[in-house]
Amino acid sequence: MIQKILFIFCLLCIAISCGEDDNQNQGYSPTPVNIAIPAIFSQLLPPPEIPANNQLTQEGIALGRALFYEKKLSADNTLACAGCHKPNQGFSDQRRYSIGIDGIAGFRNSMPIVNIAWNTNNKFNWDGSANSLEEQVLEPVVNEIEMHNTWPNVEQTLQTDPRYVTAFSNAFGTSTISQELVAKALAQFIRTLVSADAKFDNYLLGQATLTPLEEQGLAVFLDENRGDCFHCHGSPSNPLWTDNDFHNNGLDENFTDLGLGDITGDPAQFGLFKSPTLRNLAYTAPYMHDGRFQTLDQVIDHYSEGLVFSPTIDPLMKTVAQGGVQLTPQEKAALKAFLLTLSDPSLANNSAYQNPN
Amino acid sequence: MFKKSVFLVLLVLPFVACDKNDDDQAQQNTPVSVGFLHSFYENTVVSSNFNTIQYTNGFGTSLSITRLRYLISQVSFTNQDGIKTLVKDYHLVDLSQDNSLTINDVLLPPGAYNLKMRFGFTEASNTSSVYPDLNAASWNVPENLGGGYHYMQLEGRWLDPGDTPDEPYLYAYHTISAVQNPGPENTREDTSIEIDLGEITVTQGATQINVNMHIDQWFENPNLWNLSELNGLLMGNYTAQKMMQENGQNVFSLASNMGD
Repeated sequence: MIQKILFIFCLLCIAISCGEDDNQNQGYSPTPVNIAIPAIFSQLLPPPEIPANNQLTQEGIALGRALFYEKKLSADNTLACAGCHKPNQGFSDQRRYSIGIDGIAGFRNSMPIVNIAWNTNNKFNWDGSANSLEEQVLEPVVNEIEMHNTWPNVEQTLQTDPRYVTAFSNAFGTSTISQELVAKALAQFIRTLVSADAKFDNYLLGQATLTPLEEQGLAVFLDENRGDCFHCHGSPSNPLWTDNDFHNNGLDENFTDLGLGDITGDPAQFGLFKSPTLRNLAYTAPYMHDGRFQTLDQVIDHYSEGLVFSPTIDPLMKTVAQGGVQLTPQEKAALKAFLLTLSDPSLANNSAYQNPN
Repeated sequence: MFKKSVFLVLLVLPFVACDKNDDDQAQQNTPVSVGFLHSFYENTVVSSNFNTIQYTNGFGTSLSITRLRYLISQVSFTNQDGIKTLVKDYHLVDLSQDNSLTINDVLLPPGAYNLKMRFGFTEASNTSSVYPDLNAASWNVPENLGGGYHYMQLEGRWLDPGDTPDEPYLYAYHTISAVQNPGPENTREDTSIEIDLGEITVTQGATQINVNMHIDQWFENPNLWNLSELNGLLMGNYTAQKMMQENGQNVFSLASNMGD
C-alpha cells in the first residue's frame, strides 16, 4: 500500500511539473502522421517500426524533407543528401561511387533508401555501422569524403536561417537547432519514402498480369535448384525484397573491403554486406556494395557462373564449387525480366518526395 | 487546476478498487519463462561460437554452424485436470537474436503441468503468407516447394578429410513440409514434430523452464547423415525431408526446471 501511495505522489509531482512545461510550449502542436501503408504491405508485413521518441508529424516530415535537399548540410553548401540519393535513381546514385564536396570519390555505391521504415533489424548501411536511422543520418554530414562538415557548423548555419528556426519550433517545440533534431527530422522524412507501386505489386493485388517470360523468371527466382534468390531477397510473401541481413555472396576471394567485419572486428564477418532491396533495379545501377556490375546481366552472370570461394562465404551460396547455379541464357533472360517488374515508376515523380526548397 | 484534481481522483480510485483483485491475481498466476538452449553433444552452442569448425557429427564429419533459426508452435501447458493452456501460437528462435531465445509472456497458476510444443507448423497452420513477422523474416517457402514456412534453417561449413582442408564445403540443412513433385502440381506432407517435454512444475514466484535442442541428433538418429551426399538443395528433396523428420524426434528435451 505504501508503494501505491508513493506511486500516486510521483504522479502528482509529474502532473504539477508538466503544467509549467505546458505553458512554456504553448503553440507547439505538431500534427501526428501515419505512414501511408501500401495495400500489399498491410496484407503481408508487420506495421512499420517508428521509434517512440520520434513519432512522425506533418511538421517533422516537412522539415526533414527540406533538410534532405539542403546543401547547407555540407561544408561548402554544395551537397545535400539528395545529391547521392536521387528520387529518379531509386533514391540511390547511378555513379559507381558518389563524389563528395572535395571531388573525392567514396568506396561504396550509394544504398537505395526506400521502405526503410520496415528495416526491423535496425542495422543500417552496407556494413551495418548504424543502429538506428537517426544514427545513420548523422555520419555523412561529418564524413570527410562526403559532406565534410561539422555538426556545430551545421547547427550554427541553420540557426541563422529564420525559415529553419520557425520550422524546428513547429516540429519540435524549440527554436534551438541541434544535430539530434536534424537527425530526427531527416529520419522522419526518410521513413515516408515508400516504394510499392511496381508492376509486381499490382500483379499481387490482381491488377496486372505478368508476361510468360516474367512468370518464368519468377519461377527461376523461387527455385532452390536454379536462382535460389528467395532466401536473401524476399519473395511474393516478403515484398521488401530483402531479408535486411548480411551475407558474403561470393564476390571475392580476398577482401579489400571487410564490410560488416570492419565494424564488428569479427573475422567470421569479413566480407559480409547487407542485402539490398531488389526494388527499383531499373533505376539503381550499378550494383553490389561497390557498384562493380554496371548491368543486371552482369549481376545474373555472377550468380550463375561467377561465384568464388572465401572463408566467410554464405552457406546459401550452395553451388560455389561449380561457380554458381549455371542458368541457361533463356533462364537468365527470364530472371532479368522478372526482376524488372519490381521497379516502381511512380517513385521518381512522387510529389511528396521532391525538393521543396 | 480543477480539471487536474478531478483527473487525479479518477486516477486514484481504480487503484483502491482493484486492490483485492490484484492480490488474488498475484496468488493465482506466476510468471513462467521458457528458454531455448542448444548443444552439440557436450558442447553448448551459442551464436558467439558460430563459424568455427569445432563439432564432429555422428558420421564423423567436422563442421561449423553459421546460422540456426527454427520455428516452434503450439506451446501449451496442460494441468493435472487436463485443462490445456495455449501460451504461444508460434515463436521463431534465432540464435543470433538474444531476445528470441526466451518466451517470457507466460502467466500460470502454480502446479504440475505437461509441457508440449511443436517443431514447425501443423499442416493446418502452415498457410502461405499469413504471418507478417515471419514474412518480414523471409521465412517463407515458395509455392513450387509446397508453400507455407520453413521449420528450420541450420547452416554452416564442413570438411571432407580427403580434400583440401582450407576450402570447407557448405551445408544448408533446411526443414520444411516434405513435398513431392516440386512445381505447380506439388503435394505436401506434414513433417512437423510434436515435442512432449513431460511434466514440469510451476512454483510460486518466477519459474524458468529450459528446453534444449541437441543439434547433433539432426545428423545421427536414426539416419546417420552424410553431408557429402546431403548438404544443400534439400527443400525439394522429399526423402531428405522425411529423414530429417525422423531425426528430429529426439532432438528436444527438458534441460532444467527451476523455481526461484
